[in-house]
Amino acid sequence: MEPEQIGYIVGGSLKENLRVRLTVPANSVQEGAFVVVESGDWLFYGLVTDLQLGATDPRFADEQSEQRLPAGLAALLHGQTLFTNLEVMPALMAERPPDPGDPRYETYWAAHKDEKPHPLPVKTIPAHHAPVRMASKGDIAEIFGDPAEKGRFIIGYTREQGHPVCLDLEKLVQRSSGVFGATGTGKSFLTRLLLAGLIQSNVAGALIFDMHNEYGPDDTSSDTNQRVPGLKGKFPGKVRLVGLGRGATVRNTPCDFQLEIAQKDIEPADIEMLTRELNLKETTPTTLAALDREFGVNWFHHFKEMKYGAKVENDEGKQVDAPDSVAFWAGGAGVNVAAAEGLHSKLGRVFNKPYIVEHPAADTIGEIVKALEAGQHVVLSFGDFETDLDYLLVANILTRRIRAAWEKKTNDFRSGKASEPKKLVIVVEEAHKLLNREMAAQTAFSTIAREMRKYYVTLLIIDQRPSQIYDEVLSQLGTRICGWLGDDLDIQAVLSGLASKDSLRGMLARLQPKEEVLLLGWGVPMPLPVRSRRYDDKFWEELLGKKLGKQDESTLLKELGF
Amino acid sequence: MPEIEIGRLLRSNTSACVVGCRVAQAGLPAFGSLVRIPLGNNYQIFGLIYDIHIEDDGLVRQLVTSERVDEEVLADNRMNRNVPVEFSVLHAGYEQDGRIWHLLPPRPPLSLDAIYACEPGEVARFTGEGRFGYFRHVLRAADVPVGELLAAHIRQTQAAQATHGREDWGQAAVQELITLLRDDYPQLMSVLGALADIV
Ligand SMILES: Nc1ncnc2c1ncn2[C@@H]1O[C@H](COP(=O)(O)OP(=O)(O)OP(=O)(O)O)[C@@H](O)[C@H]1O
Ligand SMILES: [Mg+2]
Repeated sequence: MEPEQIGYIVGGSLKENLRVRLTVPANSVQEGAFVVVESGDWLFYGLVTDLQLGATDPRFADEQSEQRLPAGLAALLHGQTLFTNLEVMPALMAERPPDPGDPRYETYWAAHKDEKPHPLPVKTIPAHHAPVRMASKGDIAEIFGDPAEKGRFIIGYTREQGHPVCLDLEKLVQRSSGVFGATGTGKSFLTRLLLAGLIQSNVAGALIFDMHNEYGPDDTSSDTNQRVPGLKGKFPGKVRLVGLGRGATVRNTPCDFQLEIAQKDIEPADIEMLTRELNLKETTPTTLAALDREFGVNWFHHFKEMKYGAKVENDEGKQVDAPDSVAFWAGGAGVNVAAAEGLHSKLGRVFNKPYIVEHPAADTIGEIVKALEAGQHVVLSFGDFETDLDYLLVANILTRRIRAAWEKKTNDFRSGKASEPKKLVIVVEEAHKLLNREMAAQTAFSTIAREMRKYYVTLLIIDQRPSQIYDEVLSQLGTRICGWLGDDLDIQAVLSGLASKDSLRGMLARLQPKEEVLLLGWGVPMPLPVRSRRYDDKFWEELLGKKLGKQDESTLLKELGF
Repeated sequence: MPEIEIGRLLRSNTSACVVGCRVAQAGLPAFGSLVRIPLGNNYQIFGLIYDIHIEDDGLVRQLVTSERVDEEVLADNRMNRNVPVEFSVLHAGYEQDGRIWHLLPPRPPLSLDAIYACEPGEVARFTGEGRFGYFRHVLRAADVPVGELLAAHIRQTQAAQATHGREDWGQAAVQELITLLRDDYPQLMSVLGALADIV
């Protein structure tokens, strides 16, 4: 059944949106509602961006005629002279196939070979008085995909009627994407949903930098104190939990591997990236270059072993720099002694990290790469190492290695030496720490955001302050899922590179502070605000319950060794 | 059903006519009521009474100044007037061969044509036809107390329509008036002010 008409077109233009005279009470339609205009052979799909009170003559609005006229008469008068107009931003249009009763029905389908009409960007506008209605479940499925189709994942529901709205997961991982919103808007919960969908549908592998230990192990919600299941518990066979440092456990969950970083893996650039975090001086690059020249990949080890301010007595009984001191090396290498000593002392925080070792017990990075290649998903939990320094250093080094591995795999694939690499999504919380303007040039992340689509690796970035992220990275984001944002700069940042910013800006600022998000960008057919799907037991039942089809039985058997 | 003759035509033009009658003619119609002027050949004109005019004459002037007027003299003066009571009638439409039109009559009535008050059934039939087209003539008329005329007309007609099964006629009529007058705020408010007294 088609939903009832809510109004009809009274004006507008492609540039300035359509105006719709509302024929139902104004409170039955909200900003952001998904509406359909039926005009001749075309359907137009659009979003309500504004509601306006109008009067045929301003005096009808100014005068409180209900006080002068009997109620019945006043109601009649207001019905004819006062009205509400909707502003509708048309987003897509699609040809409307004739009804089965229509004489053109046969010829139409003969010409179109059962192919459904594809929605196109709007290039024209509907006629005057064309009827407007709320989108039905079918309309939404037509545009956003049917939840029953493969690779479609219900991310939320329309706000008025609660019809399910899907994301196309294939499209989501084709380009980098972002989840934004102020703190407490539900970014982490939404990301859990997305990751569960990705893992379940198997469209891509995921490497998750879990800075706050939210994704892998089970967690407790900060505001409801309810248990929040993690991915490891739900997908024990598919998700590897990696802890940082020897003997790491995460929230009492034992880890599958423990990540140790070899000193050899640290490059001078990794230190330069920490300039702000460690408050390094401009002389740092020169010093690092000298270290690199002299010690090569072992520079970190050698520099760490040097002693700050060590003195010995020489033959003449004078205090001089000891041969294992920083100053001694600097003197020999022609580097400013104060600069070298300064850097050495500032690097003390890095030298002391227990997870950076000379000889790791195992090649964990290699194992992570292998697990990802095998179609598993990896959650790297930072455990007790919750400082920005740990996050920046480890995420960057690991990402650089993975990027290199995928670049090689892609090149092998292109030259016909290997099979197609598996798509990989790298998930980063608090992304602005890694992708801000200063670091953008130095981290592996910005390279991925800008070009790695062609190497099968994309990012899923999660952030509360999108304005702090480098614009070039932001404008590359395909799918953007955005919760409420209070700051104008943040709103502007989320909308960077998108059309019809003005209409969307207000919509973002007026989202519910929790569990409502605006879907935006290249990865969705048109912008749409939705009520987020709830991450609860019902979600897991729907996701995993549906799963026990034939295919999964066979994988289950395989996993059991048959 | 006896036909009530009101009087006979004094003068007319396309859009209105004036009817004269003796006071005695029983059941004189009221301001705002519908009248008809049958002209033969299945043709009759409908109109609304929008003005009732009583002219004086020499005798009345005399009597007015006299100290006491005898009941007898008073009655005689009213019954046997030299000057008739004049009813101004706004043409609202016509009926030709059984079909009703809310257009101005093609030919106005002629002198001394007889005028009749409409029965409730006739009122219901004429005013229920189409979509209140005859309101046009009322709204366009100059020197007519539009709000009062419409209020009086709607009140009387509502009763006639109700007995003929159209309870919602009054509401529809008001709705139509609002639509017609939406762009004329002062006129609409004056009409609504009058209508406020009857709903
Ligand atoms: N989809 C959802 N299902 C269930 N609960 C939700 C959902 N979204 C948000 N919530 C509730 O809102 C609270 C805050 O959500 P969440 O922790 O995801 O916010 P956040 O945006 O990640 O905040 P921060 O930026 O501080 O990390 C959660 O504790 C949870 O109770
Ligand atoms: Mg969070």
